[in-house]
Amino acid sequence: MTTSAPEPLLALSDVNTFYGQAQVHFDLSITVGRGHIVCLLGGNASGKSTTMKIILGLVKPRSGEVTFDGASLIGLTTPQIVRRGIASVPEARRLFADMSVRENILMGAFVRNDRDAVAQDLDRMLTLFPKLGQRLSQRAGSLSGGEQQMVAMARALMSRPSLIVMDEPTMGLSPLYVDRVLELIRTINQEGVSVFMVEQNASLALEIAHEAYVLQTGKIVLSGPARALKDDPRVRDAYLGGAEAA
Amino acid sequence: MSSWLDYTINGLIVGNVYALVAVGLALIFGVSRLINFAQGSIYLVGAYIGWVAVVQLHTPLPLTIIFVAAVAALVGLIIERFGLRPLQNSVRIAPLLATIGISFVLDQLVMLTFSPNPRALPSQLPDVRFQVGGGTIGPLDLLIAGVGISSALLLFVFLRYTKLGWAVRAASQDRDAAMQMGVDVNRVNQTVFGIAAALGGVSGLLVGMYYNQIDTAMSLQATLKGVVAEVVGGAGNVPGAVVGSLLLGLVESYGVAVFGTSYRNLFAFLLLVVVLVLRPNGLFASARQAPPEPLTGTFIAPSRPVRIPRWGLAVAVALFGILPLLPVSFYVLQTLINAWLLGMLALSLTLVAGTIGQVSLGHAALLAIGAYTSALLSLTLSVPVGLAIIAGGLMSAALGTLLISPSFRLRGHYVSIATLAIGEIVSLVILNWESVTRGPIGISGIPPLSLFGYDLISPASVYWFAFAVMVVLALLQARLLGSHLGRSFRAIRDDDIAARAYGISLNRYKSLAFIFGGFAAGVSGGIAAHLYSYINHETFNTQQSILALTVVILGGLGNVVGAIVGAVALVGLPEIFRIAAEYRILIYGIVLLLLVRFRPQGLLGTI
Repeated sequence: MTTSAPEPLLALSDVNTFYGQAQVHFDLSITVGRGHIVCLLGGNASGKSTTMKIILGLVKPRSGEVTFDGASLIGLTTPQIVRRGIASVPEARRLFADMSVRENILMGAFVRNDRDAVAQDLDRMLTLFPKLGQRLSQRAGSLSGGEQQMVAMARALMSRPSLIVMDEPTMGLSPLYVDRVLELIRTINQEGVSVFMVEQNASLALEIAHEAYVLQTGKIVLSGPARALKDDPRVRDAYLGGAEAA
Repeated sequence: MSSWLDYTINGLIVGNVYALVAVGLALIFGVSRLINFAQGSIYLVGAYIGWVAVVQLHTPLPLTIIFVAAVAALVGLIIERFGLRPLQNSVRIAPLLATIGISFVLDQLVMLTFSPNPRALPSQLPDVRFQVGGGTIGPLDLLIAGVGISSALLLFVFLRYTKLGWAVRAASQDRDAAMQMGVDVNRVNQTVFGIAAALGGVSGLLVGMYYNQIDTAMSLQATLKGVVAEVVGGAGNVPGAVVGSLLLGLVESYGVAVFGTSYRNLFAFLLLVVVLVLRPNGLFASARQAPPEPLTGTFIAPSRPVRIPRWGLAVAVALFGILPLLPVSFYVLQTLINAWLLGMLALSLTLVAGTIGQVSLGHAALLAIGAYTSALLSLTLSVPVGLAIIAGGLMSAALGTLLISPSFRLRGHYVSIATLAIGEIVSLVILNWESVTRGPIGISGIPPLSLFGYDLISPASVYWFAFAVMVVLALLQARLLGSHLGRSFRAIRDDDIAARAYGISLNRYKSLAFIFGGFAAGVSGGIAAHLYSYINHETFNTQQSILALTVVILGGLGNVVGAIVGAVALVGLPEIFRIAAEYRILIYGIVLLLLVRFRPQGLLGTI
């Protein structure tokens, strides 16, 4: 699929992050090429979720640079970053449980002001996620985990992002839904949206990703094209123990 | 004799007024997980702004309402921007304490501007009554109902159909996720504070017109009633707050019908305690909801306490011990006696709020129980004063622990609300239980302090007595905290679930803390009763509970020496600088605000 390296859309370079005294990231550098699916693998407490929070501006790095589309994201608030074109599917979905499915999906378009186009996009989501059609007026909290994941993905797409960051999109889903979600990520990507996802389930993630990074206690220990990493025995050694414990 | 229909109408009208306060509290709690104790102060501001508009500017009624709403909203915006936004990343107790500090400052500013004397706020509507069934209803009743219903409708439309309204709902369900949708949470907070303040201000105006009188005591009452209604409806639940308010209004009105006016508040707080104990998430919460306050992060600022060497403490005790022998004025001794009494209360509160993490806002009730017990025993049964004071301490320990025990399973803010309510209940029982407590008349002619038959009349002897009792209590408490008991207490404060997983029985340890703390506070109250020779149900009020909390935070939560240092600083310094009484509360409020902002761990640090 990949012939030459695309221009970088998102780049973290030499990021160091701390929680109080504890250092979470050590000179972390990650690049997401435009149009690519990039996967960050790692076990528990490797700093994966904090990487997402850095990109979204929920956690500030102590040093290092984060650029998106050529401009720095450092110092911007989360809403400002979202307006730049980054949408997120948070860990454990984080839907607005007491709002309806329709309201949840439309919340994804919060930063947009083109009402008619938003309405069209809502229809488009219902073709992409046909199951949600019958659930539109239901409370989001009443859906199953897999259905909630669909809502979270639809919600992220509604802002017409150029990059979606996903935190463990397959976590806690039945095998059937895992395949469905991975298929959808690929579809979304083929429509031109870049994807940066954090995963514990390496073998599945590497199937759809272009590039992958392996994070271990805050340091990148391996990186490269997904195809190459899939066959690399070090990938198993590097983190699978943590994944199985989870 | 009014009819039941009259009481029902009255209950619903009063309920409408409460709803205007409670809805604002619910909105704020929803978005910030904060109980805004300054809500009543905004209501007070609304009432006085209304008075200015009606009496001095002679504005017509619609303009009065708009004017009050606008000024109150502005006050709300200022509170949010300068009082609370800087605290966004601090420990969770900080914003709660900040709203308490803000309410002290606002109330005192109103009092200093308008004097504490009640003022008449004339209703701008004709005084006629219409017959409805067996009861009557007037134009003001209709106005209040109209404002209540139309505010609820406007709020519903805002939350359901506007973009900002959606942002408010989303932020109240999941703040981080809302931010990831591009919601500016600061703007949401501002909106919510603006709306809450406008509604609260108008509520104050309407209440002033309804009772035709306003005074500065309205503030705390309004906050309390609003909090009751909000918690009954389920904290953060806006429609629940409306229903909770109407229910509260009806319960009070029927309570007054059956038992009389002085029982009004008793019913309100009993309703609150019953709901907190049986359905802490409110009447309308679904069973799936998590228990109250499942929030992560510590409630109290962690810090490295300042270590004072033992010889330093010994020298300090010796110096204060020989003070009466030095040529110091009567006035200094008097001030320090008050500081020692407050120090005992602070020892009690620093144990309960600091060491075991149950931030009590009703600690003055323990003083009251000790004071009444000791006073009544010595006065009616001629028990020697020394024994009576000890009995007062024991009674406070037993009764206080018994009263608070139903709320042992509550956490965080809910503990503060429950203790506040229990404090009010104790004061209201004292007011109403005339056969024992002599009701509103109070108890006078309480015998002076005496020990083994010798009256302690001279200031020096009273000073020594109070100082010695406080030092003994402090030593006992320090000993207690050094034992495994102290560690268990702190474990419960820092993570009650983990503590329970290690086999620590929460109820037993919370009881022990309240028993010890209750004794110290009861002894303080007992000594005070014999010192003042007159007490009534208002001698030990909520203001004193909050003063004690300020002392404890100033010294450093959980810090035994800090509690005493805090008491000396907060009682002593205003005296030394001869600051007039009416400015003191203002200063306490400002001290609290500055501490929370710049040194939440207090002077000597939390332990």
